Amino acid sequence: MANLERAPRKSFNDLIYDLIFKNYVWQSIFRTGYPNTPRNQMLAVATNVFLHLHPTRIHRTHVKITHTYCLGGLSFFMFLGLTVTGVLLMFYYVPSVERAYQDIQALEANVRFGQLLRNMHRWMAHAMIILVLLHMMRVFYTGAYKPPREFNWVVGVVLFILTLLLSFTGYLLPWDQLAFWAITVGTTMVGSAPVLGDESKFLLLGGFSVGPNALIRFYTLHVIGLPLVISIFLAVHFWRVRRDGGLARPL
Amino acid sequence: MVSRAAAAVRTRPRREREQEVLVWPDLVFIEFISALIFSIALMVLSAMVNAPLLNRADPDTTPNPSKAPWYFLNLQELLLHMEPAWAGVIVPTIALVLLAAIPYWDRDTEGQGVWFGTKFAGRLAVFGFTAATLITSLLIIWDGSLHVVWTENIIRGLGLNSDFSWPGGLDWFRNLRGFDTGIPWDSLGFTIGGFTMFADWRAIPLGIPGTTTDPWLLNLNFPSFLSQQIIPVATMVGLPVLFVLFCKALGWIHTRRDIALLIFSAFIGVYLTTTIVGTAFRGQGQDLKPPWDIVVLEE
Ligand code: HEM
Repeated sequence: MANLERAPRKSFNDLIYDLIFKNYVWQSIFRTGYPNTPRNQMLAVATNVFLHLHPTRIHRTHVKITHTYCLGGLSFFMFLGLTVTGVLLMFYYVPSVERAYQDIQALEANVRFGQLLRNMHRWMAHAMIILVLLHMMRVFYTGAYKPPREFNWVVGVVLFILTLLLSFTGYLLPWDQLAFWAITVGTTMVGSAPVLGDESKFLLLGGFSVGPNALIRFYTLHVIGLPLVISIFLAVHFWRVRRDGGLARPL
Repeated sequence: MVSRAAAAVRTRPRREREQEVLVWPDLVFIEFISALIFSIALMVLSAMVNAPLLNRADPDTTPNPSKAPWYFLNLQELLLHMEPAWAGVIVPTIALVLLAAIPYWDRDTEGQGVWFGTKFAGRLAVFGFTAATLITSLLIIWDGSLHVVWTENIIRGLGLNSDFSWPGGLDWFRNLRGFDTGIPWDSLGFTIGGFTMFADWRAIPLGIPGTTTDPWLLNLNFPSFLSQQIIPVATMVGLPVLFVLFCKALGWIHTRRDIALLIFSAFIGVYLTTTIVGTAFRGQGQDLKPPWDIVVLEE
């Protein structure tokens, strides 16, 4: 007699599913198939290095869009996007007074999607500043800086300053009139400090006015110095959100 | 005494496991969608609007107006109304320190984790923001002497007096500098005790005789000190105090959180107003102009 307890025939969807999620390569990367049970979903978050920024479960009020408007997350997303587009820009840009401006022109005219790349980097930088400010406002108006989150608020203020500095150092790099005079005005303000004003300005510019030394200093700070520092503060910021017990909730 | 660590645990709300949802898929999904929306929006923006690129940098050709990047234009705006050291360095430093200090001053854990957690929070925020925006705009208009232009135009326009001009006796009220240039300081001079140093308000000796101190310590130009430092600083300190007293009188303020709400909202109002004015309403020579009249000249 034929075996009546044959497994039911696989549907087309199941076949596709197995093909994608149950093959050797996928499983070597993610260890499990698509996480479709609560246990697997928690494991997916806890065992993935990127998702591990999150806890496995969070309070339901915090997934409501209107609680955070995703503003912190989006600020971070801008940072990631700026890193990617920034690395691509570095392929085409040389920070010397002779080449900088030409390189930007060439990027716009000769490189496929070059103009788009530059635009993306520029607009994302503006968006990041606005998003960070809005994120600060959301944290303030939800009273989320109160104990035990005092220190994370301070880390946030540092992140805000670093965001501005990142944008400011990048502003000089195209070496056009806009860049040159904006940085001249900005650093003159630094120079007006009552103590160590001229000294800080000199340190920043590597001279008394904006020139080749300023360009290389701003470039170095922009592409490696400040990104490293902000990454460290971002790590602390995210870590503290977790350590302080997730997002703030009424007592 | 409770240790800080113990206090931190105590200030945490109780965990409610039955109220929790899984990060995957609930949160990851939202994050993915919001990232997607932003990627698309920025893509579209970048396809439509190009990042500016002007002529090659030229130290000999100064654009008029020259402006810092937009996120520093609030500070550049302050620069027009006070001593550069205050506008460019001291005020922003103090503002950032105060901002960072909020949680160490307002430590009450009530009302956290919800939007506008106190009874009058909404009103305080709206009032702080609106009043600060209005007052800042008025101060900018006044220091730009627009009230002088407007008064002259109205009186001439109404045909009351076809060659009316701002009365000389009110020169001190033209703008902030008016306190420096519009008041007859010389005729106000008097002596205190045996010292006649106030006879000349423009050079009050400060340095100790026989020592070599910084030149600016030697003499104090009182009229310019008044208009560039005393009045601006008194305004920046005094207005917030008045705001708090006013809202206290209205019965809106009960906790430190309420004061923080009021002042923070007012700060946002000032921050925004000065940024917008600096970006869109400052033309050549940093004169107040409507955005459509602003052209950049290269000189
Ligand atoms: C580069 C800038 C920043 C990034 C990428 C960032 C990112 C984040 C993220 C992803 C969260 C989780 C909750 C959320 O999305 O709202 C968060 C929470 C928080 N952020 Fe930021 N942040 C930045 C700047 C700031 C600033 C400027 C402040 C305040 C001055 C701040 C203060 C806080 C605080 C106190 C929390 C905890 C909020 C809560 O418990 O509800 N952060 N941040």
